[in-house]
Amino acid sequence: MAQPLLEVHDLHTVFATKNGDVKAVDGVSLELNPGETLGIVGESGSGKSVTALSVMRLQRPGKIVGGSVIYKGRDLTKVSEGEMREIRGQDIAMIFQDPMTSMNPVFRTGWQVAEPVRMHHGLDRAKAMAVAVSMLGRVGIPTPETRARDYPHQFSGGMRQRAMIAMGLTTTPKVLIADEPTTALDVTIQAQILDLLRHVNRDFGTATILITHNLGVVAGMCERVMVMYAGRVVESGPTVDVFAHPKHPYTWSLLRSIPRLDAERHEPLKPIDGLPPDLIDLPSGCAFHPRCQFKVERCSRDAPLLNRVGETQLAACWVTQSGVELKGA
Amino acid sequence: MPEAVPAQLKRAWTTSDPLLSVRGLKTWFPVSSGVLQRTVAHVRAVDGVDLDIKKGETVGLVGESGCGKSTLGRTIIRLLDPTAGTIEFMGEDITHQRGSAMRAHRRELAMIFQDPYASLDPRQTVGDIIGEPLDIHKLARGRERQDRIYELLQVVGMNPRFADRYPHEFSGGQRQRIGIARALAVGPTFIVCDEPISALDVSIQAQIINLLESLQSKFDLTYLFIAHDLSVVKHIANRVAVMYLGKIVEIAPGGQLYRRPRHPYTGSLLSAIPIPDPLIERNRERVILQGDVPSPINPPSGCRFRTRCPRARPDCAESEPPLETFGDEHLAACFHPLD
Amino acid sequence: MIDPGGITQLDLPGAAIEGEARRPAQSYWNESWERLRANRIGVFCGALILILALIAIAAPVFSQFVTHFDPARQHLSDNFRSPGHPYLLGTDELGRDTLTRLIYGGRVTLGVAFLTVALSLTLGTTVGLVAGYYGGWPDDILMRVVDVFLAIPAIFLFILMSILFRPNAITLAAIIASVGWGGVARLVRGEVLSVKQRDFILATRSIGARDLRLIFRHLLPNVLPVLIVAASLGVGQIILIEAALDFLGLGIQPPTASWGNMLTNAESYFFHSGWLVVFPGVTIFVTVLASNLFGNAVRDAFDPRLKAH
Repeated sequence: MAQPLLEVHDLHTVFATKNGDVKAVDGVSLELNPGETLGIVGESGSGKSVTALSVMRLQRPGKIVGGSVIYKGRDLTKVSEGEMREIRGQDIAMIFQDPMTSMNPVFRTGWQVAEPVRMHHGLDRAKAMAVAVSMLGRVGIPTPETRARDYPHQFSGGMRQRAMIAMGLTTTPKVLIADEPTTALDVTIQAQILDLLRHVNRDFGTATILITHNLGVVAGMCERVMVMYAGRVVESGPTVDVFAHPKHPYTWSLLRSIPRLDAERHEPLKPIDGLPPDLIDLPSGCAFHPRCQFKVERCSRDAPLLNRVGETQLAACWVTQSGVELKGA
Repeated sequence: MPEAVPAQLKRAWTTSDPLLSVRGLKTWFPVSSGVLQRTVAHVRAVDGVDLDIKKGETVGLVGESGCGKSTLGRTIIRLLDPTAGTIEFMGEDITHQRGSAMRAHRRELAMIFQDPYASLDPRQTVGDIIGEPLDIHKLARGRERQDRIYELLQVVGMNPRFADRYPHEFSGGQRQRIGIARALAVGPTFIVCDEPISALDVSIQAQIINLLESLQSKFDLTYLFIAHDLSVVKHIANRVAVMYLGKIVEIAPGGQLYRRPRHPYTGSLLSAIPIPDPLIERNRERVILQGDVPSPINPPSGCRFRTRCPRARPDCAESEPPLETFGDEHLAACFHPLD
Repeated sequence: MIDPGGITQLDLPGAAIEGEARRPAQSYWNESWERLRANRIGVFCGALILILALIAIAAPVFSQFVTHFDPARQHLSDNFRSPGHPYLLGTDELGRDTLTRLIYGGRVTLGVAFLTVALSLTLGTTVGLVAGYYGGWPDDILMRVVDVFLAIPAIFLFILMSILFRPNAITLAAIIASVGWGGVARLVRGEVLSVKQRDFILATRSIGARDLRLIFRHLLPNVLPVLIVAASLGVGQIILIEAALDFLGLGIQPPTASWGNMLTNAESYFFHSGWLVVFPGVTIFVTVLASNLFGNAVRDAFDPRLKAH
């Protein structure tokens, strides 16, 4: 197996607030292999976005207070800002949830899409614009030469997101981080964009980290998945395995609580009781234990470590690590 | 097309008649332009909708942004004024009602909003928010009012001690519960739920759905459940209506719509929804629509969906397909429906 | 009777019993107050203005027990005295005690400032609320009126008003307010338009609230922060306007003292009795600065940016 493209080891990112420190990322490790699509799934406050931002060193006002991000042999948490700027957009590109606010409304779209190649590859305006127009065409925007002259607000949501993807791809990066790229879009447009991302992954071989709260999207797009809760990774493994037999009560409960298109009607939903945790005042031991129906005494004392459970999965749970199968009414 | 019924006409109404009856409803918003702000066009948010809602049922209303579902919900309970058409509630024409007559109806018609952060006045305590409907309709005062507020908080699953607190101290799911308690305060018959869970975390959504379901049986409520997520609606609704660009393109009883959709738009919506099962997802047949939703200011001629429809033929541009019956309460508006 | 402090039983399946809310009950006002209190400069400036206002209100007490002078009383043989004993801040060309005049002048100047703010805020808020809430032709008409008032050159209006009315503190306040209310109306209208869009207004309408209830119970409290900021900053602005008017001879007429006309009066004596310029000048400067800094602190404390979760 080839060397991983990107490795994150025990990352810690903290935000200081007047009520205390928010441990947004609390010891996260991951590996991204060339060409693969890794899903990071979690709800609001799980730390998934901050993890991605920390990889890009865009986590301010938060601070990376521990761990490392290894890319091409270098620790990105320790390189200079100048070196980081070279990597951003060129090696590692990021696309965001709301293309309306991630694009500058006063500049033409084509100009913005061309900006990364202008900056990183030193192309002159005409050549850079040609690259941009060609990429806009490849992401499915009709008549790209004319559309490149339009401003972001003249695009629909789906088209804007395509333009953002184009912007990310012009420099043929090795890694693409997509932070909830379809959450703000209608479901039929979401299908288009996800389809595009699949093609991008195939045609360009770009390794992708797809961050989302939608388990269905992960199921369709990612070979491997990582589940986050309260700033920690609670489970990870091949998508097929994690969905078929989840090894962490959070994943297990989440899968059972979401309404599914293929479920029988009027099967009662089984919600997860309780509330998402307060990141300033995390529960002792396992962050999920107050809401967990499988908890034992140890769960409130010691925070579980991520360990192998089953053949291909990792889970941070005392209960499943001791061999208990997750089953329920 | 029935003529507009004269105002205040109340026919003898029984529970076998629909609770709410909407005919030919249109809600258009003017678009002004120019120095003199003249109306140059209209956003045809709701452009001719017929719908009956029976007492005790949940009608799901789905569609993507711009289809008019929120506008339809708001027009039905008269938060917006219809441009044309009629709305009958329990046999009474409320299309143009105003003043104290409409206010009386406000006790029967309630709404739950999408954004739990914006739907509660940040300056009021939770207790005052829930108590306000009681104050407006002069239903309870003093000790009785306090009791009713505590009762409502309990009914939605919150500790009554929270009545003194302010909305910003609560999470999205809790705020939504407060919004539900407010809607229940006057004892309504009909509640429009406008995307009540879209803004909530996934793990909380199921809690709220279950709450709404149990409240429905406990208080004999009728729901119009507006959502963009067909999976949620499948779970909670008896009948589901699909809207596109201001019109209902298909309506069918729960399972039927999902098992055998007739309208191509419904088909593509269903195929676009991700299912949390990798094996199913990888092997699904997808119908991916091209292009974007056209503008509701200038909908396409004939069938509005034809510009994106994979089955479109020349006759689709000539006239608008009417809603046709395809079996038990299953209607779809298409000249070339799916089999 | 339900005891809210006791154990609550729920008979609804699937509805979770919610745990504790995040932190102890804090209204928006309390939170803003605390933020304001934490801002030392803001608190200091606010206290300063408060103290000046109190001194001004208690002017007769001061003149009786502290300075022992009457503001209008002339001591011609003691004119142009430099600060010392018994004239703590010196005397002017007519031998009147500067300190006492400053204190009484504060009554006039601060009185004009606060009254003007009160008037323009009341009128501006009413117009802004009505225009913003109702929209349509009431909005069009009212805003055109505001536009007219804002378009009239202020000086012109002041001159006109001064000719028609003899400016004492109250009429002066009315005159300045007549120019300023338009800005407040626009500000309030803008705020109302943005608050009006929020779901909770629609929600309150859906439960049957009438217009008046919506405007006073829901719109106004949410618009208040903007007003508070405008008021805090307004005080400083008006002091300067008043001083300018005095300079032009359109404001408070001597022998009544105001900080502005004391400054104007001292202009001719600048070279040999500079302190006559310095004291009112510094007083104005300090008060206006304090008002601006306090206004900034208030804005930071009540800022809507921090409102949402």
